[in-house]
Amino acid sequence: MYRDEILPGTLYLLVLKTLARPDKMHGYEIANSMQRTSEDVLQVEEGSLYPALQRMFIKGWVTTKWGTTAGNRRARYYQLTAAGRKQSAVERSQFECVIGAITLVIEAV
Amino acid sequence: MNWLRELARRIRMLVNRRQFDVDLEEEMHLHLELRQQDQIESGMSADDAQAAARRRFGNVTSLRERSNLAWGWEWLEHLTQDLRFGLRILSKNLVVTFVIVLTLALGVGANTAIFGLVNGILLQRLPVPAPEQIAALVIQSGESSLGALGFSYLQFVEFREQTATICEVFGSATAWRLNFTAEGHSDTLTIGGVSSNYFSALGVKPALGRLVLPGEGEHPGEPAVVVLSYAFWQKRFGGDPQVIGKPARVGGKTATIVGVMEKEFRGQFSVFEMDAYAPLSTAFDESSASNFWNSRDMHLMLVLARLKPGVTLAQAQSRFDVVSRRLAAQYPLTDKDLKVRVMDERLSRPIPYANNAFIMFSGLFLILGALVLLLACTNIANILMARASVRRREMALRAALGGARSRLLRQMLTETLLTALLGGIAGVTLGASLSYLASSTHLSNIPVRLGFGFDWRVFVYALIVVIFTAISAGLSPALHATRADVNTVLHQGGRADASGKARHKVRGDLMAAQVAGSLTLLIVAGLFVRSLRAVERMDIGFDPNQLLNVTLDPSVDNYTRIQTNEFYRSLETKVRTLPGIQSVSLAASVPMGNTLGNQSVYVEGRPVPSGQRAPGAFFNNVDPPYFDTLRIRIILGRAFTDADSETAPLVAIVNETMARRFWPGEDPLGKRFSLISDAGPFVEIVGVARDGKYRILAEDPQPYFYVPLTQHFTSQRTLQIRSSMLPELLAPLVQHEIKALDASDPVEEIQTMKESLGGTLGYFIFRLGASLAAAMGLLGLLLAIVGVYGVVSYAATQRTQELGVRMALGASPRQILALLLRQGAQLVAAGLLFGLVGAWALTRVMSHMLVGVSPSDPLTYLSVAALLSFITLLACWIPARRATRIDPMVALRYE
Repeated sequence: MYRDEILPGTLYLLVLKTLARPDKMHGYEIANSMQRTSEDVLQVEEGSLYPALQRMFIKGWVTTKWGTTAGNRRARYYQLTAAGRKQSAVERSQFECVIGAITLVIEAV
Repeated sequence: MNWLRELARRIRMLVNRRQFDVDLEEEMHLHLELRQQDQIESGMSADDAQAAARRRFGNVTSLRERSNLAWGWEWLEHLTQDLRFGLRILSKNLVVTFVIVLTLALGVGANTAIFGLVNGILLQRLPVPAPEQIAALVIQSGESSLGALGFSYLQFVEFREQTATICEVFGSATAWRLNFTAEGHSDTLTIGGVSSNYFSALGVKPALGRLVLPGEGEHPGEPAVVVLSYAFWQKRFGGDPQVIGKPARVGGKTATIVGVMEKEFRGQFSVFEMDAYAPLSTAFDESSASNFWNSRDMHLMLVLARLKPGVTLAQAQSRFDVVSRRLAAQYPLTDKDLKVRVMDERLSRPIPYANNAFIMFSGLFLILGALVLLLACTNIANILMARASVRRREMALRAALGGARSRLLRQMLTETLLTALLGGIAGVTLGASLSYLASSTHLSNIPVRLGFGFDWRVFVYALIVVIFTAISAGLSPALHATRADVNTVLHQGGRADASGKARHKVRGDLMAAQVAGSLTLLIVAGLFVRSLRAVERMDIGFDPNQLLNVTLDPSVDNYTRIQTNEFYRSLETKVRTLPGIQSVSLAASVPMGNTLGNQSVYVEGRPVPSGQRAPGAFFNNVDPPYFDTLRIRIILGRAFTDADSETAPLVAIVNETMARRFWPGEDPLGKRFSLISDAGPFVEIVGVARDGKYRILAEDPQPYFYVPLTQHFTSQRTLQIRSSMLPELLAPLVQHEIKALDASDPVEEIQTMKESLGGTLGYFIFRLGASLAAAMGLLGLLLAIVGVYGVVSYAATQRTQELGVRMALGASPRQILALLLRQGAQLVAAGLLFGLVGAWALTRVMSHMLVGVSPSDPLTYLSVAALLSFITLLACWIPARRATRIDPMVALRYE
């Protein structure tokens, strides 16, 4: 989903973590926020955020609500649900598990 | 309930999908705009900013599809697309669609009709509460299976009493054709004589009045009552509730109509419909010659049992084994090898007796149905194959534009399935109407009820058939069409398809398979038809033409013997004065109709060893003109005369088989035997009659003898009349004479001998088999002709160019014809070979269903094979000949 720079399967974790902040965000803000936080390391195919958000919504991890942006445009805002928060922890531990495994392999060489 | 909530949400999403699409669109649009704005703010030109925004965003269409995938409804979306497209394709090729639908309708129709028949007869349970508890009891005695079709009344009562802890035994003895008179009008009915607990054990209810009550009618001489079936009540009395309490004459006895059976219950036999029911005492008198009530040799009762809850068939079986052994020990003479099998009631259909061939019969016809379907499938596959070649370009193009092969395959299969469904609907309709037609056709004198089995099973069966057809006929052409190498196909220009040696082979194989399947069907049909011919031409020992049978029983009027004899004598005299009468006689029994029991024969001077049973023979009580009337030749000695009176020495006439078996190598005339004991009294043989058929048409030669009615009295007799007049026209005249003689009208039954022979013991089953098999055979032949014609004419079209070249190079039309025919002939020959082998294998199960013809009858095999090869070669020849007529110049330019 992200181009080669990012580990597959981590998009959910990134989005969940980004949304974990108290203020709700729309798609463009999420993309920008992720990029900023990663100090521009994580270059994304920005559009792939939307299918991911869609899936997360279907799974019940986020809720959506239409609102108005600062520029007075209609936008869909996303907010984490309780299930989403729980999932965030799950994704995180999975991620750490994978990273740990990779580290082990790298250091063994 | 998690999946339920999930489902609800999915459905909600499906409903609101358009809204979601709009939302997504707006969201993505906003993203692109905001990005573009940011870029401009960071100093890009508007155009560059837009391009950059798009680049960073990715492929919008693909993203939108991916996002849609998340909803989990894409299959539905594809399905609607495929269906819409499929419908368009089908409606654009109306002729092809029509041919496929018609072919399939024939295949599915034949199959559902047969399955409906089998379902109605074998699979549906009785319409009573807890039908799974009903078991059938079948006697398997040491005697031939013909000897004991059912239980004697005494056996029935013994089993009922001695197995009462685990089940309730009940039963009936059916009178197939009994005269029923009410409100001055007579009908011939099928009446079930039922045990007193019959209805209570079955658990059926009356629609009106009452049924036979527990304890009622198990002693001869109780007041006669009758219960009407719902259908007969509707038909005969117009559903009039006032009918309860009215009198009716049943078999010459005055009975009271006490009730009407509920609509759903049509009798215990899945094939024969009961018109009325009466207690056993109404159906059987004490005085009747065949002593129903206390002879252990009158096996008239067909017996069922309702097992108590929790009792299995195996448990019941062991209980019945115990009782059988006990009875065998108690009555060594009659019940020596008594064995009762307890079986699922459905397996005992249509009539419970050992060696029931019906299941095999059904199986055979289901296989034939499957063969017809396979023929239909191959035809459809052929058509689809031809169409697939045409559509290879379309498929290649779609593949080139990015259509996945799985998607294309699914598209083509959806089309086939759609057509198949249309064919299936047409087929089920056809099958239902065929069944209806069959059920309303009078195949026999007994009201036969066929094809009432249209329930969910038939529809499930039809659906399976349709899906099977779609996949088996559609998969290979679909694979072929989508296998196309894009490059090759698109470079072929307009030419339909030049590849396909392998495909020609497939089509050839299909054609050979069709010939094989059709040959198998035709051979089975041929065997059945020859068997019917053999049965119809079989020497039954008498001449059944121009004979009318009238069965009477004046005992209901409390006549004395003398009065009875006098009644019959004056009746004979009266009838002899009617126009066209050639001969009139009386007999106690009618061949293939009501027969008397098996009679022990004690040969004089040859005492039966103790503990053994005297050999038995069936017999008939007749008067002197009997042999003239039936045209039974006396080959030795003499017929009865008026001199063989009550007081004269006792005499008998035996048939050839009895003479041969009891007095081998001796002159039977003057020999004596007794019907009662080793000590006599003896009857003397005065004549030998020709062998004939006595009980069922398929029987082997049986020992049989005749005694004079004067010396062996029966009250029930059948008046047999041979006349030059049509027996049907004679019947009302005879009935008029009877009424004039005895106003109480003691007629039990009137029918022509021909009708009587068409009954279940006569030609019925042979006619049913032959007509069903012939219908299937013709259907198979039709499909094969269409198939062969189609394959050859398609092959000829495909080779138009090649043939044009050959002709241009000097090939004569004869050579072209030979070329095309040679190929066809090879395939036909291969098909015939496989068909012969297949038919030989399949017909192994038919040996019990055929009479007078072997299942491997070479004449049938060879003549059917010859006929089929002629017809199929003709089907090859017509398109091949057409191919030779084309102008080479046209052919060369042919695309």
